[in-house]
Order: sequence, then C-alpha cells, then structure tokens
Amino acid sequence: MDEDATTSNSRAAKTFDPDLIHAIFKLVWRRRAEKSSGGNEDIDVEPAAETSRRNRSTTANASALKVSCELLRIFVTEAIQRSAFIAEAEDATVIEPTHLERVLPQLLLDF
Amino acid sequence: MDMDMDMDMETLADDTDAALAGDSGGEAERYEAAEAEAELLRDRLRLAVISIATAEGKKAGMTVADPVVACIADLAYKSAEQMAKDAELFAQHAGRKTIKMDDVILTAHRNEHLMGLLRTFSQELKGKEPASSERKRKKSSKKDERPIDV
Repeated sequence: MDEDATTSNSRAAKTFDPDLIHAIFKLVWRRRAEKSSGGNEDIDVEPAAETSRRNRSTTANASALKVSCELLRIFVTEAIQRSAFIAEAEDATVIEPTHLERVLPQLLLDF
Repeated sequence: MDMDMDMDMETLADDTDAALAGDSGGEAERYEAAEAEAELLRDRLRLAVISIATAEGKKAGMTVADPVVACIADLAYKSAEQMAKDAELFAQHAGRKTIKMDDVILTAHRNEHLMGLLRTFSQELKGKEPASSERKRKKSSKKDERPIDV
C-alpha cells in the first residue's frame, strides 16, 4: 500500500519492484547452487527434490529486498546525476554516452 | 506512458511464469529455461531503469539518450547479481539461510557514505513498520549529488 503512496506522491520517488529484485536474486542463487553441487548430484536430482537441498534454501526477507531496491535506485540516480553534471558543463541538454563514459570509472569504484 | 510500461511489465511477468512452468526436465532444457528467464528479468529491470532514469533526467532538466539508459540498465543488472552473491555469502557466514537487511548493507561496505545512506533507509523502514505511514525520503539521493571521493 505504501507503493501506491510513493507513486502517487511524486514521480521521482520511483523505485524498483522488490519482487523483481527477488526474482533476480533467486536466479543467481539457483545458478550458484547448481554449480556448487557439481556433476555428482545431477543424475538423481529431480526438480521437486531441489527444495530440500542444502544450497537451495537461501531466501531474503522483505526489508532486505527493499534495501536492495534502494541501493540499485541510488546507483541509477547517481549515474544520471553525475552524467548530467558533465553534460551541463558542456552546455548540452541531452545526456550522451560520452558523458556517462566520463563518470563511469568513479561510479563503478563507488558501488 | 506509465500505463504502457506497467502493462509491459505485466506481460513480461506472465512470460516469466510461463518460462518457469515450461521447465520440466532435461539439463539442456532447464538451462535454456533459466536463460530465457534471465533475459525476461533483464528486460523487466530495464523497464524499471528507464522510468527511474527518465524521471531523474527530467529533474535535472535533461533528456537521457537511449544508449545511456541501456548501459545503466545493464550495469544495474550486473550489480544486482553481484549483490545477490555477496549477500548470500554474508548470510552464510553468519550461519543464516535468510538474507537480512544487514547483509545488504554490508555489500556496500566499500563506500562509507553509501553505507550511511542505506543505514538511514533501513532505520526508517524499521521505524515505519508499525505505523507504515511515513514514506521513503528521496532526500537521501539528493545528499549524494556530489561525486564521492575515494
């Protein structure tokens, strides 16, 4: 319900959908679980048995997902704000890839 | 435009479910299904990034070129993947199977300023759990406007 409140209050308060982030996380964890279980287990493994497997059970609680969304949102806004700063210095009104290129090294170091 | 985006997201979400349901057997098939799912998640993330980036650009009075948004979306996906790995390791180290807020905050440990922002955010989340009336401040991103010196 607070989702509705944020979207209606202002466009700028947009953030990511925690479910989407959760889905991405789960995909990564599943891949890692499959990789770490190696070749010895995949013969007798059934999709249903995966739930009981040791590596499968990583989950995330709701507030942790919200913090992850916030972290990603800061990443995106930060990328735009820094590029906008460069673009402004060049009197441009469009943020071009060259502007992003200038801020990218520091941005990637910061996140 | 927002409506369109939401509708796109719905369709994509349905497709993700379909991809999951189609995952029946066979290592190759499962791999393919996982790849298809990853692709859909990437697209959904890209839509979210587009809306956030355009809004942010508008705030600065700028339009954002498409390749820039695409690049940022790709980076966001990669950093989400990295975050998932880190958070999982931290939770495992603590002997937990569930990712908590602290694990996510720890993933930002290289940047003290960012960590501080996330701490504040998480405290707000904790604080509003009973009341749930106070909404997220966007002030936090404003503070972060200046590039951070490392």
